[in-house]
Amino acid sequence: MNINLTESSKIALNALRTHKLRSFLTLLGVIIGVMTVITVVSIIEGLDAYVKNQVLQFGSDTFSVQKFPNFVTSFEQFLEYNKRRDLTVEDMKAIEERCEKCKAAAAVQSKNGTVKVGTQSIEDVEIRGVTVNAPFMGQIMELSEGRHFTDFDIDHAAHRVIIGADVAEKLLAGRDPIGLELKINEVPFEIIGVAKKTGSFFGQSLDNFVRIPMTMYQRIFGARDSVFIQIQAYRESEVPQAMDEVRLIMRSRQHTPYNKDDGFSMETAATFIDLWENFSRGIFVVTIAISSIALVVGGVVIMNIMLVSVRERTREIGIRKAIGARRRDILVQFMIEAITLSGVGGLVGALLGLSIAFVISALSPLPVTIRWWSVLMGMGLASSVGLFFGIYPASRAAKLDPIVALRFE
Amino acid sequence: MGKNGNRPMILTEDLWKTYEMGSEKIHALHGVSFEIRQNEYVAIMGPSGSGKSTLMNVIGCLDTPSQGKYYINDRLVSELSDDELAYIRNKEIGFVFQTFNLLSRATALHNVELPLIYNGTPSVERLERAKASLVKVDLGDRMGHKPNELSGGQRQRVAIARALVNNPSIILADEPTGNLDTATGVEIMNLFERLWEQGNTIVLVTHEHDIAAHANRIIHLRDGRIERDEIVRQVEAQKPQPQTTEAAT
Repeated sequence: MNINLTESSKIALNALRTHKLRSFLTLLGVIIGVMTVITVVSIIEGLDAYVKNQVLQFGSDTFSVQKFPNFVTSFEQFLEYNKRRDLTVEDMKAIEERCEKCKAAAAVQSKNGTVKVGTQSIEDVEIRGVTVNAPFMGQIMELSEGRHFTDFDIDHAAHRVIIGADVAEKLLAGRDPIGLELKINEVPFEIIGVAKKTGSFFGQSLDNFVRIPMTMYQRIFGARDSVFIQIQAYRESEVPQAMDEVRLIMRSRQHTPYNKDDGFSMETAATFIDLWENFSRGIFVVTIAISSIALVVGGVVIMNIMLVSVRERTREIGIRKAIGARRRDILVQFMIEAITLSGVGGLVGALLGLSIAFVISALSPLPVTIRWWSVLMGMGLASSVGLFFGIYPASRAAKLDPIVALRFE
Repeated sequence: MGKNGNRPMILTEDLWKTYEMGSEKIHALHGVSFEIRQNEYVAIMGPSGSGKSTLMNVIGCLDTPSQGKYYINDRLVSELSDDELAYIRNKEIGFVFQTFNLLSRATALHNVELPLIYNGTPSVERLERAKASLVKVDLGDRMGHKPNELSGGQRQRVAIARALVNNPSIILADEPTGNLDTATGVEIMNLFERLWEQGNTIVLVTHEHDIAAHANRIIHLRDGRIERDEIVRQVEAQKPQPQTTEAAT
């Protein structure tokens, strides 16, 4: 029996070799179907690993209180959220004082602006106003040189600045930055620290920033915008209790009646991951729907070519039956041929898909994870298409009457 | 294998094969009864349309009779399932066709191996037996050749080796020399002679007297009936005696 298997797959591979163009056209549907799946899987896998990595850096013991939720899905919602009260540094301080499960809290606010050293300047730098705990929460900021802000710096609105690695590179090129003067919107600051390089997120540099004390920030830009409050619980397991406490504190500060919704949003790394997973699952479903159309079309073409093959080889089937092949033997032989044929299509599709993913990752900021098992998955997918669409031609072959088949010219 | 001299290897009782062509019924076999014992060498002769091909297909279990009984080694063929028929074709019958019917893409050795593949013979034994079978027909040096690299006579010998490889009860040859020149035909007939001498049972279907004359017994068919069943050559006493069963018309 097993020689029958290897023989059948050899026949199929031989047919592929002798009719290259025909085989390619036959397998086009399967190739495209598998290619699509593999490309999308590689991209999603890449994004998935990337997003989770980024989110986990945010810290699983940390959550945030903000005016707007992370995702606003419609303009009506935006208008609704826009009516909320702005969050303030005082809110953050109240949380820090009154929340028992909270280890620390920080407030952050940011805007883009121009920074200048001497006569050189760069535009569109993210200018962040921070409180003292900000670098130690969420995405932790480590310094390569200098020091962090102290309570004194924050309380006295010191003209001091910590700069991102990009800013250091572009404006200071090799000079020792500590103690140099840097101007933000023409206000002079003394550089006290440089942050370590963190890289980029979707092609956007994460090092293109300067940090100044929140008090100073509000002096320059005003205190009218809402701040972003980050809160760290003592333990990851205590995040829900900490969030409950914070909710109560915030509701009482905002005088929210018991029957009204919160006038603020709270987000954790987990809610972000949930959202992401919903999103990527959606993409998966769409991809599978699209590629299954290609796979069904590909399957029908394979069925057609197998019917031609059965007809061309009627006599061979007759011979095999005359010397003792059972229906099952013939059925298996043609099924194997169909599966081999489509499996090769799957292999080609998978390799093409991986190449596309590879090119995408090389040419664009999209992170792509190339998984070698996806080749197997593609071949499996294609083979099951061959299996399904091979049934009909194979059973036609198996049912041939041996005498009729032997006489067939 | 049940090859004993007393029981007939092949026994048919009143075989009918009827085809319906529209409202008309055509009887390809018209009540055929005969038996063939072990190590007989029988020629079934008749003009075209006499029903000899139909009879061969029935004997070869490629076709089933419309009526009547056909026993091969005491097994009633008309009642067998599709798979059982395949098994009989595999084990009990060795076909040799006029057009050789070899797989063109496969080597001589692989062609001969094929029947063994279908009965699940393990590969080592399969190879040995296929080789031995090819040696028997003097093709030991052509095993790796494909049919289109062999002469007509050599192809037919490959087909005979394939027929022999499962030690069948009967070798069923349908016009085995029909596609060969006279000299090669003689060569093939000599090979059949040798196989018969080695104890094989041979049934030959032909319309040529010269070819039929190689057999020991000739069954003449005409219009689906046995016209004459004659012994043309007496063989030694230890060989079973064929019986004249019927002389219809």
